[in-house]
Amino acid sequence: MARYGMMIDTRKCVGCYACRVSCQMQNELPVEESFIHFYEKETGVFPNVKNEIIPVQCQHCEDAPCVSVCPTKATYTTEDGIVLVDEDKCIGCKYCMVACTYGARTQSHKTGVVEKCRFCAELVKEGKQPACVSTCISNARIFGDLDDPNSDVSKAIVKYNAKPLRPDLGKSKIYYVR
Amino acid sequence: MIWGTIIAAYLFLAGLSAGAYLTSSYVARKYPEAKAVRITGRIISPVLMAIGLLLLILDAEAGLKHPLRFIYLFTNFNSVMTIGTYFISFFMLAAAYTALMEILKKETNKYVEYAGMLFAVATAIYTGFLIGVVAAVPIWNTAILPILFVVSAMSTGIAGTMLVASFYDSKAVHRMLGVKKIHLGLLSAEVFLIFTMFLVTSYSNESAAESVATLVSGEYSTIFWIGLILVGLVLPIAVESFELYNDKKMKETEAGIMMAAAGQGGIAGTLVTESSVLVGGFILRFLLLAAAVPVPFL
Repeated sequence: MARYGMMIDTRKCVGCYACRVSCQMQNELPVEESFIHFYEKETGVFPNVKNEIIPVQCQHCEDAPCVSVCPTKATYTTEDGIVLVDEDKCIGCKYCMVACTYGARTQSHKTGVVEKCRFCAELVKEGKQPACVSTCISNARIFGDLDDPNSDVSKAIVKYNAKPLRPDLGKSKIYYVR
Repeated sequence: MIWGTIIAAYLFLAGLSAGAYLTSSYVARKYPEAKAVRITGRIISPVLMAIGLLLLILDAEAGLKHPLRFIYLFTNFNSVMTIGTYFISFFMLAAAYTALMEILKKETNKYVEYAGMLFAVATAIYTGFLIGVVAAVPIWNTAILPILFVVSAMSTGIAGTMLVASFYDSKAVHRMLGVKKIHLGLLSAEVFLIFTMFLVTSYSNESAAESVATLVSGEYSTIFWIGLILVGLVLPIAVESFELYNDKKMKETEAGIMMAAAGQGGIAGTLVTESSVLVGGFILRFLLLAAAVPVPFL
């Protein structure tokens, strides 16, 4: 049993959207729907300013509010710590969308089901990397088992002192270098 | 807005329905002669709830396409929505039974009515807890919001019942001073709760402060001040106070006593007050959904 997580190095991200496109391909999403959203944040005072590009998707929280509010148990956490949506149970009430801290969920126009990043669970099962990770042109994304201290992701998190976006708001599992 | 006008209407109708049920139960005991009011409350209650539930089903698109999925709504006891589904189901059963007995002119089983009253309160509270437990939206995530929703549910319940009943029996509506006094109390409490909520949350949280700002001075300020505060609260408070004051005066003069005995006074006041309370009740829920500012995560 693993506890899958990811690290995103925003210093390496060039905002090329390749991860978003590969995610859309992998999940057969229409152009206007995506599981990865891009945010830009400017900090500092001129001339010492920093502009960050921050890709945000489902953070696969261990104490995910979407899992607890979902009235039909359509949203659930796998043994490997991946938060998934059972499409045959979702009624599209959008309670999860309201409860998600990261605005990571989108409702499918076609089915009305609310979907989100699945850490490419079917690829991971085969020992492969999620589409966004293998596509990233600058290796800004590292995926792996957070419980294994020797995994690339665990080592990178320690090395770069990566932190979740809002550790005070919940136990999310995507760590950011900023 | 993830949850928009449809959900606002549903929250409003659920509260209104619960309030109407409680109003009729109260009137049945306190004013047994006011049959029109009692019957009205008992009949509109399940009808309004049913309309609300239909709206909810319409909004849940995936469920609309696969209706059997709604059965899963009863499964997650960690979710306020599941708990609410139980509350509404029990309330709906009791309200439909009470309405049916009223139509058949049969005696209502009082234990079923007690259960109905209990689940009416639960339903009204639930509409507040539904959004009150959402930690991602600080303006909702306050202990005062469920209380505000309950007070508003009772107030709109009284208004809805009185409005419909006044078409059948305007005299009875006028005679129920006790209900008018309760209504005035509820409306005043609502004003107090709204401003307490706004003041305290905007000091405790930046996102909540932003929400409050969009309401009192930003995007939604016109509809907030004119729709909710002026039409929904101040106007009915003024009319109700005036009517209660007038009534007190009427008892002091002989002509007044005669007029009161004859059951004079049109239904204009009732129509204005009660419709504006209903308008305000809907606007309150709509604004709270519209002004949801989530916590920043970047």
